[in-house]
Amino acid sequence: MKLYWQVAKNMWDQAIAYRLSFVIFRLRNLFWILTMYFLWVYALPHGKVLFGYNQSQILTYILGGAFLSSLIMATRSQDIATEINEGNLSNFLLRPIGFLRYYFARDLGDKAMNIFFSIFELTIVFLILRPNLFLQTSPVLLLLTLVFSLSGTLLFFFFSVLLGFIGFWSTETWGPRFIFYQLLNFLAGTLFPLDIIPKPLYTVVSYLPFPYLLYFPMKVYLGQLSTIEMVKGMAISCIWIVVLYAVTQFVWKRGLRVYTAQGR
Amino acid sequence: MKKYLKLWLVMTSRITQIAFASRFGVIFFTLGKIIRFIFFLLFLVLLVEKTRSVAGYTLWEVILIFLTFNMVDIISQFLFREVYRFRSYIVSGSFDYLLTKPISPLLRSLFGGSDVLDLITLFPLIGFFIYTLSKLDGITILGVFLYVLLLTNALIIMLAFHIFVLGLGVLITEVDNAIWIFRELTALGRIPIAVYREPLSWVLTFIVPVGIMITFPVHAALGILSFQAIIVAFLISGILLLGSLYFWRYSLKQYASASS
Repeated sequence: MKLYWQVAKNMWDQAIAYRLSFVIFRLRNLFWILTMYFLWVYALPHGKVLFGYNQSQILTYILGGAFLSSLIMATRSQDIATEINEGNLSNFLLRPIGFLRYYFARDLGDKAMNIFFSIFELTIVFLILRPNLFLQTSPVLLLLTLVFSLSGTLLFFFFSVLLGFIGFWSTETWGPRFIFYQLLNFLAGTLFPLDIIPKPLYTVVSYLPFPYLLYFPMKVYLGQLSTIEMVKGMAISCIWIVVLYAVTQFVWKRGLRVYTAQGR
Repeated sequence: MKKYLKLWLVMTSRITQIAFASRFGVIFFTLGKIIRFIFFLLFLVLLVEKTRSVAGYTLWEVILIFLTFNMVDIISQFLFREVYRFRSYIVSGSFDYLLTKPISPLLRSLFGGSDVLDLITLFPLIGFFIYTLSKLDGITILGVFLYVLLLTNALIIMLAFHIFVLGLGVLITEVDNAIWIFRELTALGRIPIAVYREPLSWVLTFIVPVGIMITFPVHAALGILSFQAIIVAFLISGILLLGSLYFWRYSLKQYASASS
């Protein structure tokens, strides 16, 4: 455990070493949040209801979603493909260290840094724009939001690792990852709450793992889900975690069979 | 001019060959861009259909703004892709090699790496643009002509900013972050800029003239842009271009060739 704590700490130090790049990355993210924020403020004036949301709920969804994405979607596992393609994976195979646990620890370091900056950014946004936000007071719903966020974090981690494992078979790994992120913007509810899309499409999407990354935790926070919906959501999320974990283990073993340490 | 055009064609064909060497990547990259475009468009359609208008713009007018932003973004990425590689030339000392060539180092640094991959999505976009125009009332040939003229003006502003970034690269080796910040600021123009409040609207008016780049061509097409506004648009792009060229020359004088 101490070992992986040190890995997470090293990741934090690494991010600090390239401060300017990190701050610019966060700033870019902030511009995107502002685009959505102002668009919703304009489209949904105070006192009106649109798609079942009032202004305070939708702004909470946008800003809260931005904060949660720092926890759920911050990752360094995109480096896995490079490690494989450059033959550096051999170093891991020789060490008494779990590859997945190592990358999860790295992700935790990166997530900590992203959360830190996210709090800073959102405080500035709050001080300048003074948005009318919805504050959830139910301890049960707050706890459930945390539980759904953690399951979303696991889902995202397995997806990201699987994309990195493409490196076992191809050097062109950025293309699938690029598509994945574009899909995520829509299907995870990063761009807008998913329940604004037509009902049949929403039903199909709700069986995919993506909505449980961001959309579901935010809906739980807003208290807009019934107990049955939350239980169903947790069940689907858990099934996907088990499936993705099994696929990750399978692909890892298959990948090691074809790994040739090319580049070393 | 002819020499440069020939040179540009040769360099562009080389870069295209390199890009297409990884066909898998080309397909995914293009698909990803299309997905991004479709999803944001879907979001705009869902939102504006419910609200009927955003900042006084109807659905098809909002779509026209979104298409205009995409056209400016795609064309400028295609033309100025080499700027993204400029930092490595400075850091590695390869820029000295460009300076010894019998061609303008500025034109080489701007247009030396035009990537056709960036252009693939432009053609369906133009088709959708024509369809959007057919859905709008009061579109005239003069309006479309002014739209194209002001879109060219937007590209001149983009050119000026890319030259400024090159100058910054020579002085402090800072290219990537500066260009990303500029691109993200420009991306704020994918929706009507009237929705933004201070201090952001100030930045979009005086620092990065997104309004002139995106809103002005749309207003011209809709026939609601005054003659004075057109003159102001060209004056601002002219001033920015001259300023950036001056900055580029200044940065070259400061270049110490430290990396070579």
